Amino acid sequence: MSALSSLLTPAMLFFALGFFARVIKSDLRLPQDMAKMLSIYLLVAIGLHGGYELGRADLNLALHAVFWALAMGFALPLIGYALLVATGKVDRLNAAAIAAHYGSVSAGTFLTAIAYLDNIGIGYSSYPVIMLAIMESPAIIVGLMLATWSRQKLADSDFNGGTIAQSDNGYPGQTGSMLREALTNGSVILLLGSMFIGAVSSQASMEKLSPFVNEIFMGVLCLFLFEMGMEAGRRIKSFSKVGPVLVAFGLIMPLIGGAIGMAIAHLFLQLDVGGVTLVAVLGASASYIAVPPAMRLAIPESNPSFYLTLALGITFPFNVVVGIPLYYSIAQALAG
Amino acid sequence: MPRLHQEKMVTVITTDILEDHLTALLRKNGVSGYTIISARGAGASGEQSGMLSVDANIKLQVVIPEPRLEKLLDCLDALLQKGYHLTVFVADVAVMRPEKYESHLL
Repeated sequence: MSALSSLLTPAMLFFALGFFARVIKSDLRLPQDMAKMLSIYLLVAIGLHGGYELGRADLNLALHAVFWALAMGFALPLIGYALLVATGKVDRLNAAAIAAHYGSVSAGTFLTAIAYLDNIGIGYSSYPVIMLAIMESPAIIVGLMLATWSRQKLADSDFNGGTIAQSDNGYPGQTGSMLREALTNGSVILLLGSMFIGAVSSQASMEKLSPFVNEIFMGVLCLFLFEMGMEAGRRIKSFSKVGPVLVAFGLIMPLIGGAIGMAIAHLFLQLDVGGVTLVAVLGASASYIAVPPAMRLAIPESNPSFYLTLALGITFPFNVVVGIPLYYSIAQALAG
Repeated sequence: MPRLHQEKMVTVITTDILEDHLTALLRKNGVSGYTIISARGAGASGEQSGMLSVDANIKLQVVIPEPRLEKLLDCLDALLQKGYHLTVFVADVAVMRPEKYESHLL
């Protein structure tokens, strides 16, 4: 299998088509809620599928996977934040918001990796699916704590703390309401709920759902990636605004996260080649569905075009084109 | 035109993420009703295409008697102080049936 032929799958080509359509300024516009509908379908399908398999899997290993998913979710934003602050090019609040995106996961990238593995005929264990569900939330919480800490640091260094002193109860970014938000986040509920339904469902009832869960899955993924390609293409004009340091971060951070994910999957969870690849993708990917609204609410001082350009315009295409084949070849070398 | 009465109309354009908070704030300020529409556009936060959940804007409009305006604007100002991006403008409007705007939303 050559790296190039693995890129020529319908899913990846649709991503490229969307990107291309946007770059040449095609008048093509998709209906407004299409991406949301497609991602709801994808989360339900992957949840049902993964949940069904997990319901029949080793509970002890599943709990291990949950533990390591939490560990990654908490550690990755801290690493990202430290890196960003060390560059001296990003203020602390923007660093906190960006770092939270890199600790969370992109279901789109994960599903692309599944399409990649399917295409080359590699099986994968279902444990990474539960890690996908678990890793949505911790990074939001860490981002929140980093932002609170950053505001304190800024207030200490800046005697003009007038805006902070003003208190009114129940403002939207309050820690309590944000914690609830992080844990009741729509995609977390959908994914965990579908996994639960899959886990308790009988084989016969899952077979009835098979056309929905399995057969149309790749087609919907193609449409979703087409749309995401357009969204990624729409971000490239912001590259100059974001600056070379952040662009470099968007390329380096997935490699760090991917390496950590691979180490955990190989050393502590002893997953198969497909599983190691998928956990690497979890570590490498940056959220662009769940975390951006949360950060917009929790850290209004940060600039959405920074974290959206990075997560969607740089890291997502990087992982799709370079990352996934790279993580797979390293996973293969580790196993072999 | 004796049938028309002067009121204030407040328009807020912001991210739809703030919708729940804003409607709670309106209730607290005793408005009798409000209208929200999905919006697209571009501004300090970049282009808001409405394609992703983080990219969606709302335009919220509410008619409020002038005595209650000040307190509502204070609440909106508090949000601006915290760094949220809101476009707020107030217009004089003429309404029929002014008593409609006196009652409080339940």
